[in-house]
Amino acid sequence: MPSDPAARSEPEPRRSRATVTRRGALHRPAGLEPGIDVGGLVDTEAGLVDRAIFTDERIYRQELRRVFAPSWLFLAHEDQFAKPGDFFTTYMGEDPVIVTRDRTNTIRAFLNSCRHRGARVCRADFGTTRNFTCTYHGWSYDLAGKLVSVPNRDGYPGDFETGQWGLVEVPGIDSYHGLIFGTWNSEAPPLRTALGEMTWYMDAMLDRDPEGTVVVGGIHKWVLEGNWKLAAEQFATDWYHVNMSHASALQLLAPKAKGPKTEIVHRTGRQYVDPRGHGAGFPVHPKNRFDAQTVHDWYDYGALRERLGDARVEGPLTNGHATVFPNFSYLPVNGSIRVWHPKGPDRMEVWAWTVLDRSMPPEVKEAQRLYNLRTFGPSGIFEQDDGENWSEVQSISRGFITNRVPLNYQMGIGSERDDGRYPGMTSELYSDAAGRAFYARWKELMTTPAWHEEQP
Amino acid sequence: MSPAIRVAPVEDIAEGEGLKVDRSVTGTADHIAVLRDDDGEFYALDDTCTHEEASLAEGWIENGQVECPLHAARFCLRTGAALCLPATRHIRRHQVEVRDGEIWLLPDMAPVP
Ligand code: FES
Ligand SMILES: [Fe+2]
Repeated sequence: MPSDPAARSEPEPRRSRATVTRRGALHRPAGLEPGIDVGGLVDTEAGLVDRAIFTDERIYRQELRRVFAPSWLFLAHEDQFAKPGDFFTTYMGEDPVIVTRDRTNTIRAFLNSCRHRGARVCRADFGTTRNFTCTYHGWSYDLAGKLVSVPNRDGYPGDFETGQWGLVEVPGIDSYHGLIFGTWNSEAPPLRTALGEMTWYMDAMLDRDPEGTVVVGGIHKWVLEGNWKLAAEQFATDWYHVNMSHASALQLLAPKAKGPKTEIVHRTGRQYVDPRGHGAGFPVHPKNRFDAQTVHDWYDYGALRERLGDARVEGPLTNGHATVFPNFSYLPVNGSIRVWHPKGPDRMEVWAWTVLDRSMPPEVKEAQRLYNLRTFGPSGIFEQDDGENWSEVQSISRGFITNRVPLNYQMGIGSERDDGRYPGMTSELYSDAAGRAFYARWKELMTTPAWHEEQP
Repeated sequence: MSPAIRVAPVEDIAEGEGLKVDRSVTGTADHIAVLRDDDGEFYALDDTCTHEEASLAEGWIENGQVECPLHAARFCLRTGAALCLPATRHIRRHQVEVRDGEIWLLPDMAPVP
């Protein structure tokens, strides 16, 4: 990955107008996108969730409309765009997008679908280009999304204007400590507002180093059977599974393979519960660390305490899990960041980056990269356990009786409080509180018409 | 041959890069693309691809060829020959010389056939 210092300035928050697409006499009939009242499928007071939210195709279509289209979604790390023309293709929900740095050095994102007959105009995962040329009939767009070449241009009517047929732009782009997010909703609150106090927790990964973070290695992508929410929810709220699901991995990593110390099994910790649906959990014992020794030795914990404060160093900097609603998750100490791309109600694609402190020397970066790969790479000893659980749950969820039996999210009901040490509301390390908040936010969005539904 | 035009110091065009010289300067029918191959050699061709409206100065230059940035037609830097579809017509070439660290262009002023 390039790391040209010139490219390190954070992208400017960008609000462009929603691209106007010519509709002529087209209009979508009422009923094409029915709104299903899902309010009865989530009861966060009682801690109950109906399994239909993981399996129903109509609910899934509504999620794309009301959860993914309006929310800030993670796109890429700014380190991936060193110079104009560098691009990366990803998804927002199921919408394919190209993220690129244009000639004025502005980070922009466009719908990766040709305005002519809809093919993708960029079919590479990443690279450097000067134009995006559709491989179907050859319409070409520049780095600002403008349509710059149309083969057989003379064949179009006199009122055909290339200015009206540029790529559809993602109107909201903003970044937080190197992480670029985008939203289709030009009226969405600013990214920082949408992240709220979650930024305090994110800084335990993103702001350890005054130099910021870099991406090392490639982006791993793999397919899992399982609804995207199973993964997003778990990273928000579930330390509970660790000792059971990851018993073999813990055993392996413990000194002399004797199994982890009792204090490690019975750890205490906190779980951050965000009304916007984010969540993060972490042990609060300063000795609870899972990371490569080389990395541990390199850190100057005194300086970190000064920079980030004792509560963070003894909390989210020891270990932990987190989700930024809806589908971005990370592991602060491993340096794994990932998106759970939805691919239908039954399937997700995991896209995972390794993000490390920029000023780490090469050997420390390498130690951390390998550590992350061994634990949470596609075949990592922890990652394998998690994927197995989600696929297990999904594989039986379509059984008629099975689907009707509610799931339990009751742990720690009523435990949320302001503990005076960790910002916002927190619960216990072992708790479903952030999960309940995740589904409360999901329900709120799912039962509220999105901005695009108000348009004619 | 018209008088030589001084384009830029050699270091202004990196290997694999091109520079478009406007036709108001060259006096030719088309703009001229001064192109530097990845071995450091300079070449000059008409700037507009013979297939569609696209600037070859923006193209990908390597291995004695320039590839159009829009539809990937390729031309020989030495002869201007079209090497692959969608281009079918060769492109006019011009003389270019390096004198004392400066790039000089000698446009081919022959009338367009
Ligand atoms: S679909 Fe892109 S040019 Fe026709
Ligand atoms: Fe896990």
